[in-house]
Amino acid sequence: MIEKGRISALQMSLLIYANIVSSAILTVPGITYKYAGRDMWLSPIWGSLSGFFVVFIVYQLNKLYPMETLIQYIQHILGQIPGKIVGFFYLFFYLYAGGTALRQYGDFLVGAFFNRTPILIVIASLALASTFAVRAGLEVLARLSDMFVPLMILLWIMIVLLLIPELDVKNMFPIMENGIKPSIMGAVSPAAWYTIFFHISTLFPFLIDRKQGMKWSMFTVLAVLVTLLITNLATLLLFGGITGSFVFPFMSAARYISYADFFENLESVIMAIWIGGTFIKMGLYNYVLVLNTAQWLNLSDYKPLVLPFWMLLTLVGIWTAPNLPELAHSLSVTGPIISHTYFIVIPVILLLIAVLRNRMRQKAGKP
Amino acid sequence: MKKLFLVLVVLLNPLFLVGCWDRIEINDIAVVTGLGIDQKNEKTIELTAEMYIPKALGGGGGGSGGGGGPQTYVRIGEGNTIADAISNLQEKIPREVFWGQTKVIVIGEKLAKEGIRVTLDFLTRHTEPRLRAHVFVAKGKAKDVLALHPPLERSPSEVLRELAKMKILMDVTLMNLLQMLSGDAQAAAIPMVHILPPQKGMEPLQTIAYINQTAIFRKDKMVGQISDKLTRGVLWFRNEIKLSNITIKPKEGKGYVSSTLLRANSQLIPKIEGGKWRITLKAVTEDDVIVNGSNLNLMNPKFIQMLEKDLEKEIEHRLTQTLEKVQKEMKVDILGFSEEFQRKYPKEWKKVKKNWDEIFPSVEVTYDIKAFIRRPGMSTTPQGLPEDEVKQK
Repeated sequence: MIEKGRISALQMSLLIYANIVSSAILTVPGITYKYAGRDMWLSPIWGSLSGFFVVFIVYQLNKLYPMETLIQYIQHILGQIPGKIVGFFYLFFYLYAGGTALRQYGDFLVGAFFNRTPILIVIASLALASTFAVRAGLEVLARLSDMFVPLMILLWIMIVLLLIPELDVKNMFPIMENGIKPSIMGAVSPAAWYTIFFHISTLFPFLIDRKQGMKWSMFTVLAVLVTLLITNLATLLLFGGITGSFVFPFMSAARYISYADFFENLESVIMAIWIGGTFIKMGLYNYVLVLNTAQWLNLSDYKPLVLPFWMLLTLVGIWTAPNLPELAHSLSVTGPIISHTYFIVIPVILLLIAVLRNRMRQKAGKP
Repeated sequence: MKKLFLVLVVLLNPLFLVGCWDRIEINDIAVVTGLGIDQKNEKTIELTAEMYIPKALGGGGGGSGGGGGPQTYVRIGEGNTIADAISNLQEKIPREVFWGQTKVIVIGEKLAKEGIRVTLDFLTRHTEPRLRAHVFVAKGKAKDVLALHPPLERSPSEVLRELAKMKILMDVTLMNLLQMLSGDAQAAAIPMVHILPPQKGMEPLQTIAYINQTAIFRKDKMVGQISDKLTRGVLWFRNEIKLSNITIKPKEGKGYVSSTLLRANSQLIPKIEGGKWRITLKAVTEDDVIVNGSNLNLMNPKFIQMLEKDLEKEIEHRLTQTLEKVQKEMKVDILGFSEEFQRKYPKEWKKVKKNWDEIFPSVEVTYDIKAFIRRPGMSTTPQGLPEDEVKQK
């Protein structure tokens, strides 16, 4: 096995939580409002079904092949050559998703703070930082998330609490004015974020307490759900009808906070959450990418791959979209379709084939 | 060796905090505290920036607070569009203009009548200005308001911000304004400021602008204004009333009694019955007596009850006056009726959304006001009145 380190189920949860929440709290409120309007806070609830389902599927697959990642057991399930081919597509998708996440980070930072700084510098420097973490191994990455995620959560709670006096509950009524459909449409995009839970398929083999894995993962889906729901609700109750007119509503909300004329301009807090979270996020993406590539190529170590993939990720980050509207469009329309294909549809097919194969083998074994 | 290296790493860390291409030093920026926008003539927009003058290396900063010269200065940029005007403004300022501390936005009356949407779009699209900035309409020109040298606060915009925060009349932030304009009612209200004539013997600029009216907008164009008294009526409807003194003339005990509002809560309850649209204003208010100009002994519960009834009637009377002007005459829904109907009757609302302007004036309003007078202040009987003239019962 390439990775010698072991992490706990809780550490895995923190890694995944940071991965999803750091970008979702900024982008999801705007996208969900576009479709769901006043019911935007319901959307994360429907979207979470994707999360629960992904965790369930990955857990079942892992039960069949406990010590292997997807790239490895896909070859047992489909046979070596088809397995390698599908595996390649997965690697390519990981690269695309990682690059897009990087671009989202870059567009936020450049759009809201560093207007004149080239996006290449912003993207490349964060990706580089995360490659250092990845080179140090999974255990180091997990410890970093131990350190950053509680801080992120604390800062997020602070923002929400400080917003409370500005909120107007009236903004959420009437609930479900046009039925349940808009809120489900709004759930499509957050559902894509929930499918990121698929990365536990790479982490499961390295858990010390694998029995807890399922429980913790489900619990994390719930934690993400609560975070997104409260974020959406806070933005909606503050902005009401104009929520959709901001690119990053939650940041605009944080900027609105002001106490006693000096405790204000809290967007730096959002920036801290976002950078800390994206660092963990890119660390995980990077790690999943290089580890799986090493497994795909049957290498004995993944470290030589880290730097080349830093450049690839940066490049994909630049290439993925020409401008912010294009990026937002791909996140809300094409993104959900691709990620559901890779993270739900194909794994379900794999699971079915694996179960059938096992049955057939058992029958063949006992004539 | 290893320790030395670690120390070096820590020392080099700040190098990463410079902000790349967006690095800027605090002494290279001009902090704009107030922004005025005027329509100079048909084509030209005038942008007035009120900027803070950082004191040159002063001793401790405490000394020069009250006296001394003005602490802000203004520069004016002109252009066909707001973007042109900004470029023009920047030409006249040796430091980079920084909008992040712009807490007050004053719109000139003429521009307000032409339409303010484009201005607002600039202010929210730019990354620096805050949604929390307070918005005002100036009677006359915004640049005259920002050029004043107020005797008390450090700049005219600070005066306006403090006045707005007290919530005596309207207090509208950029976010509130955007919400009003994007709502279905297509109406907005913004506090309107006048320049107070300076005291005798003072320099002509040594005065302030203060809020005493409210500008009413249909869509993004100003259509008129209402007085301070009527504005308080609007605040009652919007459940934003915070400060209000009401004087009543009770039937008994010749003279006036004034009370001050401690807290109030109002609620609009919509109802559609047989095609008739109705609103009930339900309000509860608690007051204290501040002046007793009558000869009533206010420790008598009977009189307090009587005063409460009179107070309710007086509030209702004021609200009717407001309605007369806003609902019947101006026909602009700044009272929040449309939102209430939309919340309670979403289906009916959708049908009339387009012609709300026609329905709004015909909405029937009823009142359900409860006033409580809690305390007579620090005095019981009318002060300075012989005991036999006090009406005890």
